[in-house]
Amino acid sequence: MFKKTYDWIDERLGITPIWRDIADHDVPAHVNPANKMSAFVYCFGGLTFLIIVTQILSGMFLAMYYVPDIVNAYRSVQYITDEVLLGQIVRGMHFWGASLVIIMMFLHMLRVFFTGSYKAPREMNWVVGVLIFFVVMGFGFTGYLLPWDQKAYWATAVGAQIAESVPWIGKYIRTVLIGGDMLGALTLTRFFAIHVFFLPAGLLGLLGLHFIMIRKQGIAGPL
Amino acid sequence: MAHDHFRDRIPGTPRFKEKDKNKPIGTEPFFPNFLLKEWIVGALFLVAFMLWIVFNPVELTDVANPSDSSYTPMPDWYFLFLYQLLKYFPGSVIWLGSVILPGIAATLLIMAPWLDNSKVRHPFKRPVATSAMMLSLLLMIWMTYEAHVQHEEHLASQPKKVDTSAMPADTTLVDSADPGAKIFATSCAGCHGADLKGVVGPFLIGVGNKYDEAKLVDTITKGFPPNMPPKGGLPSDDQVKQVAAWLAKQKQK
Repeated sequence: MFKKTYDWIDERLGITPIWRDIADHDVPAHVNPANKMSAFVYCFGGLTFLIIVTQILSGMFLAMYYVPDIVNAYRSVQYITDEVLLGQIVRGMHFWGASLVIIMMFLHMLRVFFTGSYKAPREMNWVVGVLIFFVVMGFGFTGYLLPWDQKAYWATAVGAQIAESVPWIGKYIRTVLIGGDMLGALTLTRFFAIHVFFLPAGLLGLLGLHFIMIRKQGIAGPL
Repeated sequence: MAHDHFRDRIPGTPRFKEKDKNKPIGTEPFFPNFLLKEWIVGALFLVAFMLWIVFNPVELTDVANPSDSSYTPMPDWYFLFLYQLLKYFPGSVIWLGSVILPGIAATLLIMAPWLDNSKVRHPFKRPVATSAMMLSLLLMIWMTYEAHVQHEEHLASQPKKVDTSAMPADTTLVDSADPGAKIFATSCAGCHGADLKGVVGPFLIGVGNKYDEAKLVDTITKGFPPNMPPKGGLPSDDQVKQVAAWLAKQKQK
């Protein structure tokens, strides 16, 4: 039954070669923590991806209750924390996960740097990785405002001030960022849109590139 | 050989694919063998993460208030080193700290494969790249730490707000025509507030619920050095008694 269904799909989409490519390649011994304990440093990238997946999932569930307007944002976060079943946990996952992604990504980057894994032919993958780093920082900056509490508001106010300090174009960057002259209703919807539409689109595209390149270029040999 | 058989997989994990004996020991197919091991690491990691979440609930501060500019803003911890960098470029050169230096750092980071383009990969065989990264790491950690310390210092230097979390909901004063009330208004209100809601000293609303007149006389007479002088700075014991008598009447819900 299962075999028949698979064959039917495979006949139309030709998924077997893709599937074989993902599953059958050999992973070298020096990145295998079961072979050598110190190879655990090669797990940081995978763990970063795992936390990004939990960020996407917890964010999706938060979006079921969160309301991005200045009247209700704070109250909806309060509602999630105090009333929704496991809401405190899901919000905790999303909040602490943000820091964890940064930590794991940073450790991953240091591993790649110190093992010289960005050298030819993997330069492009390093560049994509650094871009992922910037996108994730963008997630942190835009996500901080969303609960609309004092901490969020004033941290963003400082961020807007820093953007304004850019010579000549600072004023315009600030306007584009906060959606007007004042940090307010438009800023919140704008940050929400950036946080849940623009940045995820960019992140998923970059992650796709990152993973395809790992497959194409393979894992660098032992040091 | 039996020995190799045990070395190339974790005991207990299935091996769905026949291994190529010519491959070096420890090499494994990605699926399912290697992914299962990653999965184990991931599962342990997630358990630790969930435990952290359960024991560290996220708090929500007060609702955003654009008119309260007394709030000391602080970026998230991973922006602290950039925030600290800005402090070294005050006023009209702030763009050096906000654009130029981070821009240079970001460019160097992106260009790393072309700046460090020798064939060698071992960190000890490319001392420039390794020491440059170690130095930036130390700088980032130090600046993050500095930003944290300076923030704590700033918070400590701010005037303390009275903890009103235990204050009764009913805040109406009892018997404000009492002679004790007048003495309070001139001598005590500066610290405890004319409405007893506290300023630098604690709030005294509902103090009559906790202490009777004798206990209040005793407390005021002793004072709380160094902030509150003995007798609250009142010249006579009689005045202390009058204030205590009035405070003892302050029974609120």
